[in-house]
Amino acid sequence: MGLPATVSEPVFEVQEVEYRYHGVSALDRLSLSVGTGQRIAILGANGSGKSTLLRLLDGLCFAERGEVLAFGQRLTEEVLEDREFAIGFRRRVGLVFQDPDVQLFCSTVFDEVAFGPLQLGWPKPEIRRRVSEALDLMEIAHLKTRAPHRLSGGEKKRVALASVLVLDPDILLLDEPIAALDPKSQGKVIDFLIGWGNGAKTILTATHDLDIIEDIADHCYVLQAGRLVSDGPPAALLADQALLEQTSLIHAHRHVHSGQVHTHPHQHHRHEH
Amino acid sequence: MHIPDGYLSPSTCAVMYGGAIPFWYLAVRRTKRQLSARFIPLLSVFAAFAFVVMMFNVPLPGGTTGHAVGVGIAAIVLGPWGAIIAILVALFIQALFFGDGGITTFGANCFNMAIAGSLVAYASYRLIAGRASAGSRRRIVGSAIAGYLAINASALLASIEFGIQPMLFKDASGAPLYSPYPLSIAVPAMMIGHLAFGGLAELILTAGVVAYLDRTFPAMLAAGAASSMNPIADEPEAGLATKRATARLWVIVGVLLMLTPLGLLAAGSDWGEWSPGDFSDPAARAEISAESGDQAPPIDPPQGMLKLSRIWTAPISHYAPAFMKSASFGYVLSAMMGCGLILLASLSIAALAKPRRQRETQDEGSTNPRAHFASAGANQKISLVAPGKRKRARGFVERTADGILQAFEYSVQAESVANRDGLLQRIDPRIKVIGMFGLIVVTAMSRNVGTITCLLALALAATVLSGIPVSTLATRIWIAAFVFTGVIMLPSIFITQGQVIGHVPLLGWPITAQGTRAAVYMLLRVETAATIAGLLVLSTEWPHLLKALRVMGVPALLVAVLSMSYRYSFLMLRTAREMFEARRSRLIGSLEGPERRRFAASTAGVLLAKTVGLGNEVYLAMVSRGFQGEPYTLDEFEIKGRDWAMLILFAAIGGLAIWFGQKG
Repeated sequence: MGLPATVSEPVFEVQEVEYRYHGVSALDRLSLSVGTGQRIAILGANGSGKSTLLRLLDGLCFAERGEVLAFGQRLTEEVLEDREFAIGFRRRVGLVFQDPDVQLFCSTVFDEVAFGPLQLGWPKPEIRRRVSEALDLMEIAHLKTRAPHRLSGGEKKRVALASVLVLDPDILLLDEPIAALDPKSQGKVIDFLIGWGNGAKTILTATHDLDIIEDIADHCYVLQAGRLVSDGPPAALLADQALLEQTSLIHAHRHVHSGQVHTHPHQHHRHEH
Repeated sequence: MHIPDGYLSPSTCAVMYGGAIPFWYLAVRRTKRQLSARFIPLLSVFAAFAFVVMMFNVPLPGGTTGHAVGVGIAAIVLGPWGAIIAILVALFIQALFFGDGGITTFGANCFNMAIAGSLVAYASYRLIAGRASAGSRRRIVGSAIAGYLAINASALLASIEFGIQPMLFKDASGAPLYSPYPLSIAVPAMMIGHLAFGGLAELILTAGVVAYLDRTFPAMLAAGAASSMNPIADEPEAGLATKRATARLWVIVGVLLMLTPLGLLAAGSDWGEWSPGDFSDPAARAEISAESGDQAPPIDPPQGMLKLSRIWTAPISHYAPAFMKSASFGYVLSAMMGCGLILLASLSIAALAKPRRQRETQDEGSTNPRAHFASAGANQKISLVAPGKRKRARGFVERTADGILQAFEYSVQAESVANRDGLLQRIDPRIKVIGMFGLIVVTAMSRNVGTITCLLALALAATVLSGIPVSTLATRIWIAAFVFTGVIMLPSIFITQGQVIGHVPLLGWPITAQGTRAAVYMLLRVETAATIAGLLVLSTEWPHLLKALRVMGVPALLVAVLSMSYRYSFLMLRTAREMFEARRSRLIGSLEGPERRRFAASTAGVLLAKTVGLGNEVYLAMVSRGFQGEPYTLDEFEIKGRDWAMLILFAAIGGLAIWFGQKG
């Protein structure tokens, strides 16, 4: 386990954080650091604490022990009760939930995307302009009068992304952004993440999909049962078969070749071109 | 306990509104400052639960409320202020859409049930269960007593409000103007019933749900009891419904089920909810006096009541027509539906199992394994696990959920019609909402068949001019309204006394001219009101309807709760359907009785748990985007000249209809 690689000043610092759900440990003395402009993948099997970590970073729940610092400021309930700080923080940090049905609670796509800016009190002409831009960016302008819950899975995901991107956040937290999407929709999301921000934005992606991490991350943290078990650049991690198998990120895959059954570790790697 | 219009004098109504408003204000303030910032989605989904239950309650012609969403459990989980808001929303929807409880008496009903009920339940629960730890008996006992006391406090208040009327408001001859019975009759008449049966139902419901929550989500009860600001960070998992909790829930459901016939016995008439016409009807008079300490009601309906009761007649109302003798039928329905989704679900699942078992034994007898395998393969696209034949075995609950879902989808789908360029679609939503609500009220008030027929003709013309297919109206609205009204009105044809014009073959029941006329008139009125309401929904996108409410001065909080309730009851119904489908796909053999019941109970429990979990998730998603307790919305409508013209047209039609409609 190497030192956390910080490119420049850290936007998030997580120090010895513990968090429990009903007495079951979700995060266990976790420490890590995220620098400005870093693209980070948080890897781990189901239940390894990825979602919890993102929620802590987004100031939606708070550590029982240890602390989470955002922009050098300790994140606590009290700090986020302060309207000034909350508005600044919510503008700068956006979280895309795994389940778009949770995130899409308004009655039209337009209202959905406008929700964030409205809560932050932006002037209305500005809101209209920014919402249109976000809709265009996600190529969903034609859906703007539709009801979000009547859209397809891929469309919902893009609305969810637009509803966060409309705030032009500096830090984007994504919880399983391509889970349950068809390949084309997956491709669209990945393409967007590759192109977004030109290196000025910080992106944290929680995923267990090893195919995408080389595209969307230059540093990975691997979680298992709420603990940090490894970190490093994607290429190094992908080469560490023992680690990946131990953390349930790959599995021994048995299949049939010309009548013969054989077993080998399987990781759905994207093809090199 | 829903006091109808006309039973309280205008001044009493004003006083009760006056008493309720400070509490509404406080509740909104409190929930805004502390709770709502955390609990809005939770509150919304509790209201969504109520919304779903109320959809089952729609055909409620009888006297009583289902109390499917108890004040007790709401106060214990949400705290008193949250519960006031949640019940307020429920009552609001009841009064407006389902005609249960009056408009002038809305303040009083709110005060009795939402405010007093919540405060009493909360106070008694805290007093008894206070800081009791999870799993302690005191929590359950406390919640039981809280529910029992709450509903009785509400009933007592209502009976007092009834009872002071004849003391304070009399006409020149000394006859009562509004509710006719004094305290000495009103209080015992209402309280005996509530102390015995009404309170018991609430007690069981409250204690049952608390028992379930205590086992599975103890944090929820702690949060409510301490009125603390701890977010309810539950991650509900389907497996959480333990065997014991399931069994306990089933016991509660079973007791409720057994109580339903008690509701039937008490059904004849709900005390204090007679229609003015009942006072001159001999049979109804006998019933009223029997319920009121053998004191006969006044011969003529009280004058003030006559006047006030006309203010708002919901299209489908339990107290409007004198000829509606189906109160007991309505009571059975209300008891069945009002006892809650849990009861309904278990009843229906138990009922559906038999046909399936028969079908399966036949299948197994006739099919050899290979053919069976092939058929499963052929059906793989439809259902991956289940052998194809089971696809059709769908239960009542599933079909009901499906039906509601389709109705929901349909109302949302109306966007395709709502997007067309037609007469109604072009009108500003606010004008349309005001105008068409007005016409519905006018229709409900009309006592003249010609006027109602004219209104129906106008509605039809508007349908054609708006490009709305008449077939849509026919299948979606007319047939439904006909079947629904028909079921209620059918008995009146035979029961209403009057000139006999024929007899039913074989049965020999007399058909009276008056009964037939009343049935036709009622049917026409319901069809017309339903058509206008249908046109409003069909020609307006749901978000615009909500926004119109918002612009018309309904508080943003209320509209947000309404819209999220709508949005998430949709999602919940889908979840319920998926749970049934998932179960069906895993089911190989038929379930034995106890297993079936356990499944029914755990389904209800898991659904509640998912609902609560969902509420919390949605809240977090809102906070993540900067929500701080007060939803801000973007309202942009523009009223053009044409809209003003339409408003004038609506007013003219309404005015004419009122003028001619009064000449009964």
